[in-house]
Amino acid sequence: MLQKKICMLGGFSVGKTTLVKRYVESVFSETYLTTVGVKIDKKVVNLPDRTVNLILWDVAGEDDVATIRMSYLRGMAGYVVVADGTRPATLDVALSLRERVEAEHGHIPFTLLVNKHDLLEQWAISDAELRSLTDEGWSVRTSSARTGEGVEDAFTDLANRTTR
Amino acid sequence: MTALPVSVADSLHASIHRQRELAYLQIDTELRLVGAGGHLEYYGLEGLEIGASACEQVFFLEGLLPPTQSPSFVRSLEIVADRAADLQFYLDGDHIWVVLLDVTAERDESRRMQQRAYDMTLLREKEALLNRRLESANAALRAAQGELERSRLELESAHSRLQADLAEAAHYVRSLLPAPLSEPFRADWRFVPSAALGGDALGYHWIDSEHFALYLLDVCGHGVGPSLMSVAVLHMLRTRSLRGIDFRNPAQVLSSLNDAYQMQSASDLYFTLWYGVYQPRERTLKYGCAGHPPALLVSADGSAVEHLKLAGVPIGLVDGVKYASATVSVPAQSRLYILSDGTFEVQKPDGAMLAFDELVEFVRCPPRADSDLDDWLQHLVQLRGGSLDDDFSIVRFGF
Repeated sequence: MLQKKICMLGGFSVGKTTLVKRYVESVFSETYLTTVGVKIDKKVVNLPDRTVNLILWDVAGEDDVATIRMSYLRGMAGYVVVADGTRPATLDVALSLRERVEAEHGHIPFTLLVNKHDLLEQWAISDAELRSLTDEGWSVRTSSARTGEGVEDAFTDLANRTTR
Repeated sequence: MTALPVSVADSLHASIHRQRELAYLQIDTELRLVGAGGHLEYYGLEGLEIGASACEQVFFLEGLLPPTQSPSFVRSLEIVADRAADLQFYLDGDHIWVVLLDVTAERDESRRMQQRAYDMTLLREKEALLNRRLESANAALRAAQGELERSRLELESAHSRLQADLAEAAHYVRSLLPAPLSEPFRADWRFVPSAALGGDALGYHWIDSEHFALYLLDVCGHGVGPSLMSVAVLHMLRTRSLRGIDFRNPAQVLSSLNDAYQMQSASDLYFTLWYGVYQPRERTLKYGCAGHPPALLVSADGSAVEHLKLAGVPIGLVDGVKYASATVSVPAQSRLYILSDGTFEVQKPDGAMLAFDELVEFVRCPPRADSDLDDWLQHLVQLRGGSLDDDFSIVRFGF
Protein backbone atom coordinates (compact mmCIF):
# COMPACT_ATOMS: atom_id res chain seq x y z
CA MET A 1 0.00 0.00 0.00
CA LEU A 2 1.14 3.50 -0.77
CA GLN A 3 2.56 5.19 2.33
CA LYS A 4 3.01 8.92 2.86
CA LYS A 5 4.76 10.57 5.74
CA ILE A 6 2.94 13.68 6.93
CA CYS A 7 4.44 15.91 9.63
CA MET A 8 2.47 18.04 12.04
CA LEU A 9 4.33 21.26 12.80
CA GLY A 10 3.56 24.39 14.77
CA GLY A 11 4.06 26.23 18.02
CA PHE A 12 3.39 24.54 21.32
CA SER A 13 -0.17 24.01 22.49
CA VAL A 14 -1.75 24.86 19.16
CA GLY A 15 -3.50 21.47 19.04
CA LYS A 16 -1.34 19.28 16.79
CA THR A 17 -1.73 16.19 18.95
CA THR A 18 -5.47 16.70 19.45
CA LEU A 19 -5.93 17.22 15.71
CA VAL A 20 -4.23 13.88 15.02
CA LYS A 21 -6.24 12.24 17.80
CA ARG A 22 -9.44 13.67 16.34
CA TYR A 23 -8.46 12.54 12.85
CA VAL A 24 -7.24 9.05 13.75
CA GLU A 25 -9.47 8.16 16.70
CA SER A 26 -12.36 10.65 16.35
CA VAL A 27 -11.97 11.73 19.96
CA PHE A 28 -11.10 14.96 21.72
CA SER A 29 -9.49 15.49 25.08
CA GLU A 30 -9.48 18.76 27.00
CA THR A 31 -6.28 17.81 28.80
CA TYR A 32 -3.21 19.43 27.40
CA LEU A 33 -0.27 17.05 27.46
CA THR A 34 2.84 18.37 25.82
CA THR A 35 4.59 16.24 23.23
CA VAL A 36 8.27 15.48 23.64
CA GLY A 37 10.14 14.33 20.55
CA VAL A 38 7.67 12.95 18.11
CA LYS A 39 4.59 10.78 18.25
CA ILE A 40 3.85 8.47 15.39
CA ASP A 41 0.38 7.49 14.22
CA LYS A 42 -1.11 6.18 11.07
CA LYS A 43 -4.37 6.42 9.23
CA VAL A 44 -5.60 4.66 6.13
CA VAL A 45 -7.25 7.09 3.75
CA ASN A 46 -9.43 5.99 0.91
CA LEU A 47 -9.02 8.42 -1.94
CA PRO A 48 -11.17 8.14 -5.07
CA ASP A 49 -8.44 6.38 -7.04
CA ARG A 50 -6.28 4.79 -4.38
CA THR A 51 -5.81 3.96 -0.77
CA VAL A 52 -3.02 5.66 1.12
CA ASN A 53 -1.49 4.89 4.46
CA LEU A 54 -0.73 8.22 6.07
CA ILE A 55 2.11 8.03 8.59
CA LEU A 56 1.52 11.01 10.86
CA TRP A 57 4.51 12.47 12.65
CA ASP A 58 3.24 14.66 15.43
CA VAL A 59 6.37 16.69 16.10
CA ALA A 60 6.86 18.47 19.43
CA GLY A 61 5.82 22.10 19.26
CA GLU A 62 8.29 24.84 18.80
CA ASP A 63 8.83 27.46 21.44
CA ASP A 64 11.33 30.16 22.30
CA VAL A 65 13.82 27.59 23.56
CA ALA A 66 13.24 24.44 21.57
CA THR A 67 13.35 24.46 17.79
CA ILE A 68 12.07 21.60 15.74
CA ARG A 69 14.65 19.05 14.72
CA MET A 70 14.66 19.11 10.97
CA SER A 71 15.84 15.46 11.06
CA TYR A 72 12.29 14.52 11.98
CA LEU A 73 11.08 15.85 8.67
CA ARG A 74 13.23 13.70 6.47
CA GLY A 75 11.27 11.87 3.84
CA MET A 76 7.98 13.61 4.48
CA ALA A 77 5.54 13.87 1.59
CA GLY A 78 3.55 16.70 3.08
CA TYR A 79 3.03 18.65 6.25
CA VAL A 80 0.40 20.44 8.22
CA VAL A 81 1.50 23.62 9.89
CA VAL A 82 -0.85 24.45 12.72
CA ALA A 83 -1.63 27.79 14.38
CA ASP A 84 -3.97 28.62 17.26
CA GLY A 85 -6.58 31.15 16.15
CA THR A 86 -6.82 32.54 19.65
CA ARG A 87 -3.06 33.23 19.89
CA PRO A 88 -1.85 35.42 17.03
CA ALA A 89 1.81 34.79 17.89
CA THR A 90 1.38 31.13 16.88
CA LEU A 91 0.62 32.24 13.33
CA ASP A 92 4.02 33.94 13.26
CA VAL A 93 5.60 30.68 14.43
CA ALA A 94 3.72 28.80 11.71
CA LEU A 95 4.87 31.23 9.02
CA SER A 96 8.46 31.01 10.24
CA LEU A 97 8.35 27.20 10.30
CA ARG A 98 6.96 27.01 6.81
CA GLU A 99 9.74 29.29 5.61
CA ARG A 100 12.43 27.14 7.21
CA VAL A 101 10.93 23.90 5.91
CA GLU A 102 10.74 25.38 2.41
CA ALA A 103 14.36 26.45 2.65
CA GLU A 104 15.53 23.05 3.92
CA HIS A 105 13.32 20.66 1.98
CA GLY A 106 12.07 22.62 -1.01
CA HIS A 107 8.44 22.84 -1.97
CA ILE A 108 6.37 20.13 -0.36
CA PRO A 109 2.56 20.10 -0.22
CA PHE A 110 1.33 21.63 3.02
CA THR A 111 -1.75 23.03 4.67
CA LEU A 112 -2.00 25.83 7.19
CA LEU A 113 -4.59 24.82 9.75
CA VAL A 114 -5.78 27.62 12.01
CA ASN A 115 -7.15 25.61 14.88
CA LYS A 116 -9.57 26.21 17.80
CA HIS A 117 -12.18 27.75 15.53
CA ASP A 118 -14.81 26.78 18.12
CA LEU A 119 -13.47 29.55 20.40
CA LEU A 120 -14.90 32.32 18.27
CA GLU A 121 -15.20 34.75 21.17
CA GLN A 122 -11.44 34.54 21.66
CA TRP A 123 -10.58 34.39 17.97
CA ALA A 124 -7.78 36.83 17.27
CA ILE A 125 -6.64 36.23 13.70
CA SER A 126 -8.37 38.28 11.05
CA ASP A 127 -9.98 36.84 7.93
CA ALA A 128 -8.05 39.41 5.92
CA GLU A 129 -4.76 38.04 7.20
CA LEU A 130 -5.70 34.50 6.22
CA ARG A 131 -7.10 35.69 2.89
CA SER A 132 -3.79 37.31 2.03
CA LEU A 133 -2.07 33.92 2.56
CA THR A 134 -4.67 32.20 0.41
CA ASP A 135 -4.01 34.82 -2.25
CA GLU A 136 -0.35 33.77 -2.18
CA GLY A 137 -1.44 30.25 -3.11
CA TRP A 138 -1.44 28.73 0.36
CA SER A 139 -3.90 26.09 1.39
CA VAL A 140 -5.41 27.75 4.47
CA ARG A 141 -8.13 26.17 6.53
CA THR A 142 -9.74 26.72 9.88
CA SER A 143 -10.35 23.75 12.12
CA SER A 144 -11.54 22.65 15.50
CA ALA A 145 -10.18 19.50 17.07
CA ARG A 146 -12.96 19.86 19.64
CA THR A 147 -15.84 19.73 17.15
CA GLY A 148 -14.00 18.06 14.27
CA GLU A 149 -14.70 21.02 12.00
CA GLY A 150 -12.39 21.01 8.98
CA VAL A 151 -10.14 18.21 10.27
CA GLU A 152 -11.00 15.29 7.98
CA ASP A 153 -11.20 17.55 4.93
CA ALA A 154 -7.80 19.07 5.60
CA PHE A 155 -6.02 15.71 5.84
CA THR A 156 -7.89 14.24 2.88
CA ASP A 157 -7.02 17.25 0.75
CA LEU A 158 -3.37 17.04 1.75
CA ALA A 159 -3.29 13.29 1.11
CA ASN A 160 -4.66 13.95 -2.35
CA ARG A 161 -2.03 16.52 -3.10
CA THR A 162 0.82 14.28 -1.90
CA THR A 163 -0.22 11.50 -4.26
CA ARG A 164 -0.56 13.56 -7.43
CA MET B 1 39.90 8.60 22.00
CA THR B 2 41.09 5.41 23.65
CA ALA B 3 38.80 2.44 22.96
CA LEU B 4 37.30 0.82 25.99
CA PRO B 5 38.61 -2.61 26.86
CA VAL B 6 36.36 -5.34 25.54
CA SER B 7 35.40 -6.38 29.07
CA VAL B 8 34.23 -2.85 29.95
CA ALA B 9 32.37 -2.44 26.67
CA ASP B 10 30.66 -5.81 27.18
CA SER B 11 29.71 -4.81 30.71
CA LEU B 12 28.25 -1.52 29.51
CA HIS B 13 26.37 -3.35 26.78
CA ALA B 14 24.96 -5.79 29.29
CA SER B 15 24.02 -2.93 31.61
CA ILE B 16 22.17 -1.10 28.87
CA HIS B 17 20.39 -4.31 27.96
CA ARG B 18 19.27 -4.75 31.54
CA GLN B 19 18.10 -1.18 32.01
CA ARG B 20 16.56 -0.43 28.64
CA GLU B 21 14.41 -2.35 26.27
CA LEU B 22 16.41 -2.71 23.11
CA ALA B 23 15.39 -4.03 19.73
CA TYR B 24 17.07 -4.02 16.38
CA LEU B 25 16.30 -4.48 12.74
CA GLN B 26 18.66 -5.51 9.99
CA ILE B 27 17.80 -4.24 6.52
CA ASP B 28 19.48 -4.84 3.21
CA THR B 29 20.14 -2.41 0.40
CA GLU B 30 16.79 -3.32 -1.20
CA LEU B 31 15.23 -2.12 2.04
CA ARG B 32 14.05 -5.62 2.86
CA LEU B 33 14.08 -6.85 6.39
CA VAL B 34 16.76 -9.47 6.74
CA GLY B 35 16.91 -9.74 10.49
CA ALA B 36 15.36 -8.55 13.73
CA GLY B 37 15.93 -9.15 17.40
CA GLY B 38 15.76 -7.86 20.94
CA HIS B 39 12.50 -6.82 22.60
CA LEU B 40 10.53 -6.37 19.39
CA GLU B 41 7.20 -6.97 21.10
CA TYR B 42 7.92 -4.03 23.45
CA TYR B 43 7.64 -1.77 20.40
CA GLY B 44 4.74 -3.62 18.81
CA LEU B 45 7.05 -5.15 16.20
CA GLU B 46 6.29 -8.82 16.73
CA GLY B 47 5.44 -10.99 13.72
CA LEU B 48 7.81 -9.31 11.31
CA GLU B 49 8.31 -11.11 8.02
CA ILE B 50 11.92 -11.59 7.07
CA GLY B 51 12.51 -10.82 3.42
CA ALA B 52 9.57 -8.44 3.09
CA SER B 53 9.73 -4.65 2.76
CA ALA B 54 10.95 -3.04 5.97
CA CYS B 55 9.01 0.19 5.55
CA GLU B 56 5.70 -1.55 4.90
CA GLN B 57 6.10 -3.56 8.12
CA VAL B 58 7.73 -0.91 10.27
CA PHE B 59 5.71 2.09 9.25
CA PHE B 60 7.73 4.69 11.15
CA LEU B 61 10.70 3.96 8.88
CA GLU B 62 8.83 5.53 5.97
CA GLY B 63 11.04 8.24 4.50
CA LEU B 64 14.01 7.47 6.76
CA LEU B 65 15.73 4.80 4.65
CA PRO B 66 18.40 4.59 3.64
CA PRO B 67 20.12 6.78 6.19
CA THR B 68 22.27 9.55 4.76
CA GLN B 69 24.96 9.12 7.37
CA SER B 70 26.08 6.60 9.91
CA PRO B 71 25.46 6.67 12.70
CA SER B 72 22.38 8.88 12.64
CA PHE B 73 19.70 9.34 15.22
CA VAL B 74 16.04 10.21 15.54
CA ARG B 75 15.34 11.08 19.13
CA SER B 76 12.41 10.18 21.27
CA LEU B 77 9.92 8.54 18.96
CA GLU B 78 6.67 7.51 20.57
CA ILE B 79 5.80 4.47 18.56
CA VAL B 80 3.31 2.51 20.56
CA ALA B 81 1.48 2.58 23.89
CA ASP B 82 3.16 5.71 25.20
CA ARG B 83 6.59 4.10 24.85
CA ALA B 84 9.39 6.24 23.48
CA ALA B 85 12.58 5.10 21.81
CA ASP B 86 15.59 6.66 20.24
CA LEU B 87 16.16 5.35 16.74
CA GLN B 88 19.74 4.77 15.78
CA PHE B 89 20.82 4.02 12.24
CA TYR B 90 24.09 2.33 11.39
CA LEU B 91 25.46 1.39 8.00
CA ASP B 92 27.44 -1.82 8.11
CA GLY B 93 28.59 -3.00 4.72
CA ASP B 94 25.49 -3.99 2.76
CA HIS B 95 23.25 -3.75 5.74
CA ILE B 96 21.46 -1.07 7.64
CA TRP B 97 21.07 -1.59 11.34
CA VAL B 98 18.19 0.14 13.04
CA VAL B 99 18.41 0.08 16.82
CA LEU B 100 15.53 1.05 19.08
CA LEU B 101 16.58 2.05 22.56
CA ASP B 102 13.92 2.75 25.14
CA VAL B 103 13.96 6.34 26.44
CA THR B 104 10.47 6.38 27.94
CA ALA B 105 11.73 7.39 31.40
CA GLU B 106 13.81 10.26 30.03
CA ARG B 107 10.97 11.30 27.76
CA ASP B 108 8.56 11.34 30.72
CA GLU B 109 10.95 13.42 32.79
CA SER B 110 11.46 15.86 29.92
CA ARG B 111 7.71 16.01 29.46
CA ARG B 112 7.13 16.86 33.12
CA MET B 113 9.58 19.72 32.92
CA GLN B 114 8.36 20.92 29.55
CA GLN B 115 4.75 20.66 30.68
CA ARG B 116 5.44 22.94 33.64
CA ALA B 117 7.27 25.40 31.43
CA TYR B 118 4.51 25.44 28.81
CA ASP B 119 1.75 25.67 31.41
CA MET B 120 3.57 28.64 32.88
CA THR B 121 4.01 30.21 29.45
CA LEU B 122 0.35 29.66 28.59
CA LEU B 123 -0.61 31.17 31.91
CA ARG B 124 1.55 34.20 31.18
CA GLU B 125 0.02 34.48 27.72
CA LYS B 126 -3.45 34.34 29.21
CA GLU B 127 -2.49 36.90 31.80
CA ALA B 128 -1.07 39.16 29.09
CA LEU B 129 -4.21 38.69 27.01
CA LEU B 130 -6.41 39.47 30.00
CA ASN B 131 -4.30 42.52 30.74
CA ARG B 132 -4.64 43.70 27.16
CA ARG B 133 -8.40 43.19 27.34
CA LEU B 134 -8.58 44.97 30.66
CA GLU B 135 -6.52 47.83 29.28
CA SER B 136 -8.76 47.95 26.25
CA ALA B 137 -11.88 47.90 28.43
CA ASN B 138 -10.31 50.50 30.66
CA ALA B 139 -9.57 52.72 27.67
CA ALA B 140 -13.14 52.28 26.45
CA LEU B 141 -14.42 53.14 29.92
CA ARG B 142 -12.20 56.22 30.03
CA ALA B 143 -13.48 57.27 26.63
CA ALA B 144 -17.07 56.72 27.75
CA GLN B 145 -16.35 58.61 30.95
CA GLY B 146 -14.89 61.48 28.92
CA GLU B 147 -17.94 61.45 26.69
CA LEU B 148 -20.19 61.46 29.74
CA GLU B 149 -18.23 64.33 31.23
CA ARG B 150 -18.55 66.31 27.99
CA SER B 151 -22.29 65.56 27.93
CA ARG B 152 -22.57 66.59 31.57
CA LEU B 153 -20.80 69.88 30.88
CA GLU B 154 -23.02 70.51 27.86
CA LEU B 155 -26.07 69.70 29.97
CA GLU B 156 -24.83 71.96 32.73
CA SER B 157 -24.28 74.71 30.23
CA ALA B 158 -27.72 74.20 28.70
CA HIS B 159 -29.21 74.08 32.19
CA SER B 160 -27.45 77.30 33.15
CA ARG B 161 -28.71 78.98 29.98
CA LEU B 162 -32.21 77.74 30.71
CA GLN B 163 -32.02 78.95 34.29
CA ALA B 164 -30.81 82.33 33.09
CA ASP B 165 -33.67 82.45 30.59
CA LEU B 166 -36.17 81.54 33.31
CA ALA B 167 -34.71 84.12 35.67
CA GLU B 168 -34.92 86.71 32.93
CA ALA B 169 -38.52 85.76 32.22
CA ALA B 170 -39.36 85.99 35.94
CA HIS B 171 -37.66 89.34 36.10
CA TYR B 172 -39.70 90.52 33.14
CA VAL B 173 -42.97 89.31 34.69
CA ARG B 174 -42.07 91.08 37.91
CA SER B 175 -41.36 94.29 36.00
CA LEU B 176 -44.93 94.25 34.72
CA LEU B 177 -46.43 94.08 38.19
CA PRO B 178 -47.84 97.30 39.66
CA ALA B 179 -46.19 99.22 42.43
CA PRO B 180 -47.69 98.93 45.92
CA LEU B 181 -50.39 101.52 46.75
CA SER B 182 -50.98 103.54 49.86
CA GLU B 183 -53.75 105.87 48.67
CA PRO B 184 -56.72 105.88 48.54
CA PHE B 185 -56.32 102.38 49.92
CA ARG B 186 -53.38 100.20 50.51
CA ALA B 187 -52.22 97.45 48.13
CA ASP B 188 -49.20 95.28 48.53
CA TRP B 189 -48.10 91.95 47.06
CA ARG B 190 -45.49 89.27 47.08
CA PHE B 191 -44.54 87.45 43.92
CA VAL B 192 -41.92 84.72 44.22
CA PRO B 193 -41.58 82.62 41.08
CA SER B 194 -40.54 79.01 41.59
CA ALA B 195 -37.18 77.78 40.30
CA ALA B 196 -38.94 76.35 37.26
CA LEU B 197 -40.92 79.60 36.71
CA GLY B 198 -44.65 79.22 36.91
CA GLY B 199 -47.35 81.11 35.15
CA ASP B 200 -48.57 83.42 37.91
CA ALA B 201 -49.24 87.11 37.31
CA LEU B 202 -51.15 89.73 39.23
CA GLY B 203 -52.21 93.31 38.84
CA TYR B 204 -54.54 96.15 39.68
CA HIS B 205 -55.37 99.40 38.02
CA TRP B 206 -58.04 102.03 37.79
CA ILE B 207 -60.55 101.39 35.02
CA ASP B 208 -62.03 104.79 35.59
CA SER B 209 -62.32 107.10 38.56
CA GLU B 210 -65.00 104.90 40.15
CA HIS B 211 -63.79 101.41 39.33
CA PHE B 212 -60.62 99.71 40.41
CA ALA B 213 -59.74 96.34 38.82
CA LEU B 214 -57.77 93.76 40.81
CA TYR B 215 -56.82 90.30 39.61
CA LEU B 216 -54.48 87.36 39.91
CA LEU B 217 -54.06 84.55 37.41
CA ASP B 218 -52.23 81.26 37.35
CA VAL B 219 -51.43 79.53 34.05
CA CYS B 220 -51.12 75.75 34.34
CA GLY B 221 -47.65 74.26 34.25
CA HIS B 222 -44.19 75.71 34.63
CA GLY B 223 -41.65 77.21 32.30
CA VAL B 224 -41.39 79.86 29.66
CA GLY B 225 -44.62 78.93 27.82
CA PRO B 226 -46.98 79.47 30.78
CA SER B 227 -45.02 82.55 31.74
CA LEU B 228 -45.43 84.07 28.28
CA MET B 229 -49.14 83.33 28.41
CA SER B 230 -49.51 84.96 31.81
CA VAL B 231 -47.76 88.05 30.45
CA ALA B 232 -50.09 88.11 27.44
CA VAL B 233 -53.20 87.87 29.63
CA LEU B 234 -51.82 90.46 32.03
CA HIS B 235 -51.20 92.78 29.11
CA MET B 236 -54.71 92.24 27.79
CA LEU B 237 -56.23 93.07 31.17
CA ARG B 238 -54.06 96.15 31.71
CA THR B 239 -54.64 97.57 28.25
CA ARG B 240 -58.26 96.44 28.19
CA SER B 241 -57.67 95.16 24.68
CA LEU B 242 -60.67 92.83 24.56
CA ARG B 243 -62.99 94.64 22.18
CA GLY B 244 -66.57 95.40 23.23
CA ILE B 245 -66.07 94.21 26.77
CA ASP B 246 -66.99 96.13 29.86
CA PHE B 247 -64.01 95.57 32.14
CA ARG B 248 -66.14 96.69 35.05
CA ASN B 249 -68.05 93.44 34.63
CA PRO B 250 -66.03 90.45 35.85
CA ALA B 251 -68.40 87.92 34.27
CA GLN B 252 -67.92 89.49 30.85
CA VAL B 253 -64.16 89.66 31.28
CA LEU B 254 -63.89 85.97 32.23
CA SER B 255 -66.20 84.83 29.44
CA SER B 256 -64.35 86.88 26.83
CA LEU B 257 -60.98 85.62 27.96
CA ASN B 258 -62.34 82.09 27.76
CA ASP B 259 -63.39 82.73 24.17
CA ALA B 260 -59.98 84.21 23.32
CA TYR B 261 -57.79 81.58 25.01
CA GLN B 262 -59.24 78.21 24.18
CA MET B 263 -56.51 75.71 24.99
CA GLN B 264 -56.71 73.99 21.59
CA SER B 265 -55.31 77.17 20.08
CA ALA B 266 -53.11 78.07 23.05
CA SER B 267 -50.61 75.18 23.13
CA ASP B 268 -52.86 73.23 25.50
CA LEU B 269 -52.45 75.90 28.16
CA TYR B 270 -55.25 77.07 30.39
CA PHE B 271 -55.36 79.30 33.44
CA THR B 272 -57.30 80.17 36.54
CA LEU B 273 -58.21 83.77 37.27
CA TRP B 274 -59.74 85.71 40.08
CA TYR B 275 -60.93 89.10 38.80
CA GLY B 276 -62.65 91.78 40.87
CA VAL B 277 -63.71 95.38 40.48
CA TYR B 278 -63.79 97.57 43.59
CA GLN B 279 -65.99 100.69 43.79
CA PRO B 280 -64.64 102.80 46.66
CA ARG B 281 -67.60 105.15 46.80
CA GLU B 282 -70.11 102.30 47.29
CA ARG B 283 -67.56 100.13 49.14
CA THR B 284 -68.60 97.22 47.02
CA LEU B 285 -66.53 94.54 45.33
CA LYS B 286 -67.86 92.77 42.26
CA TYR B 287 -65.92 89.68 41.38
CA GLY B 288 -65.75 86.59 39.26
CA CYS B 289 -63.74 83.43 39.54
CA ALA B 290 -62.51 80.96 36.91
CA GLY B 291 -61.30 77.87 38.74
CA HIS B 292 -59.16 79.99 41.05
CA PRO B 293 -58.76 79.64 44.82
CA PRO B 294 -61.13 81.94 46.71
CA ALA B 295 -60.06 85.43 47.65
CA LEU B 296 -60.38 86.12 51.38
CA LEU B 297 -62.15 89.20 52.69
CA VAL B 298 -61.20 89.65 56.32
CA SER B 299 -63.04 91.99 58.64
CA ALA B 300 -61.07 94.58 60.57
CA ASP B 301 -60.94 92.56 63.77
CA GLY B 302 -60.56 89.22 62.01
CA SER B 303 -63.82 87.93 63.37
CA ALA B 304 -65.15 87.28 59.86
CA VAL B 305 -63.40 85.81 56.85
CA GLU B 306 -65.48 85.68 53.74
CA HIS B 307 -64.46 83.26 50.96
CA LEU B 308 -65.04 85.05 47.66
CA LYS B 309 -65.47 82.25 45.20
CA LEU B 310 -67.88 81.39 42.44
CA ALA B 311 -68.22 78.21 40.48
CA GLY B 312 -66.39 78.36 37.20
CA VAL B 313 -63.94 76.19 35.23
CA PRO B 314 -60.46 77.46 34.42
CA ILE B 315 -60.23 79.61 31.33
CA GLY B 316 -59.48 77.77 28.13
CA LEU B 317 -60.78 74.38 29.18
CA VAL B 318 -64.35 74.52 27.87
CA ASP B 319 -65.46 76.61 24.93
CA GLY B 320 -68.53 78.84 25.27
CA VAL B 321 -68.70 78.86 29.06
CA LYS B 322 -70.50 81.83 30.64
CA TYR B 323 -69.15 83.00 33.97
CA ALA B 324 -71.08 84.66 36.78
CA SER B 325 -70.33 87.68 38.93
CA ALA B 326 -71.15 88.39 42.54
CA THR B 327 -71.01 91.52 44.64
CA VAL B 328 -70.05 91.91 48.28
CA SER B 329 -69.85 94.87 50.60
CA VAL B 330 -66.42 95.80 51.75
CA PRO B 331 -66.44 96.84 55.40
CA ALA B 332 -64.20 99.68 56.55
CA GLN B 333 -60.71 98.58 57.63
CA SER B 334 -61.25 95.21 56.06
CA ARG B 335 -58.50 93.38 54.16
CA LEU B 336 -58.76 91.46 50.93
CA TYR B 337 -56.31 88.70 50.00
CA ILE B 338 -56.12 87.44 46.43
CA LEU B 339 -53.79 84.50 46.14
CA SER B 340 -52.51 81.68 43.97
CA ASP B 341 -52.56 78.00 44.92
CA GLY B 342 -48.82 78.22 45.53
CA THR B 343 -49.55 80.08 48.76
CA PHE B 344 -51.13 77.07 50.40
CA GLU B 345 -50.65 73.90 48.30
CA VAL B 346 -47.47 73.01 50.12
CA GLN B 347 -46.35 69.65 51.44
CA LYS B 348 -45.45 69.63 55.08
CA PRO B 349 -42.48 67.67 56.47
CA ASP B 350 -44.83 64.86 57.55
CA GLY B 351 -45.96 64.43 53.94
CA ALA B 352 -49.42 65.90 54.49
CA MET B 353 -50.57 68.91 52.50
CA LEU B 354 -51.05 72.21 54.22
CA ALA B 355 -54.77 72.92 54.72
CA PHE B 356 -56.29 76.02 53.16
CA ASP B 357 -57.84 76.71 56.53
CA GLU B 358 -54.38 77.23 58.00
CA LEU B 359 -53.90 80.12 55.61
CA VAL B 360 -57.38 81.39 56.48
CA GLU B 361 -56.56 81.32 60.18
CA PHE B 362 -53.28 83.08 59.55
CA VAL B 363 -54.81 85.97 57.59
CA ARG B 364 -57.66 86.26 60.07
CA CYS B 365 -55.30 87.58 62.67
CA PRO B 366 -51.71 87.76 61.55
CA PRO B 367 -49.16 88.23 64.37
CA ARG B 368 -47.60 91.14 62.54
CA ALA B 369 -50.20 92.90 60.41
CA ASP B 370 -47.75 94.89 58.29
CA SER B 371 -45.52 91.99 57.47
CA ASP B 372 -48.15 89.28 57.13
CA LEU B 373 -47.22 88.49 53.51
CA ASP B 374 -43.54 88.01 54.34
CA ASP B 375 -44.38 86.05 57.47
CA TRP B 376 -46.58 83.65 55.55
CA LEU B 377 -43.97 83.23 52.82
CA GLN B 378 -41.32 82.56 55.44
CA HIS B 379 -43.60 80.07 57.14
CA LEU B 380 -43.98 78.11 53.88
CA VAL B 381 -40.27 78.22 53.12
CA GLN B 382 -39.55 76.85 56.56
CA LEU B 383 -42.13 74.12 56.08
CA ARG B 384 -40.53 73.11 52.79
CA GLY B 385 -37.03 73.46 54.12
CA GLY B 386 -36.08 75.48 51.04
CA SER B 387 -37.48 77.06 47.92
CA LEU B 388 -41.09 76.48 46.93
CA ASP B 389 -42.17 74.17 44.12
CA ASP B 390 -44.74 76.56 42.73
CA ASP B 391 -45.05 80.31 42.26
CA PHE B 392 -46.02 82.15 45.41
CA SER B 393 -48.33 85.09 44.53
CA ILE B 394 -50.50 86.99 46.92
CA VAL B 395 -51.99 90.49 46.92
CA ARG B 396 -53.32 92.20 50.02
CA PHE B 397 -55.62 95.21 49.86
CA GLY B 398 -56.42 97.24 52.94
CA PHE B 399 -59.66 99.17 52.50
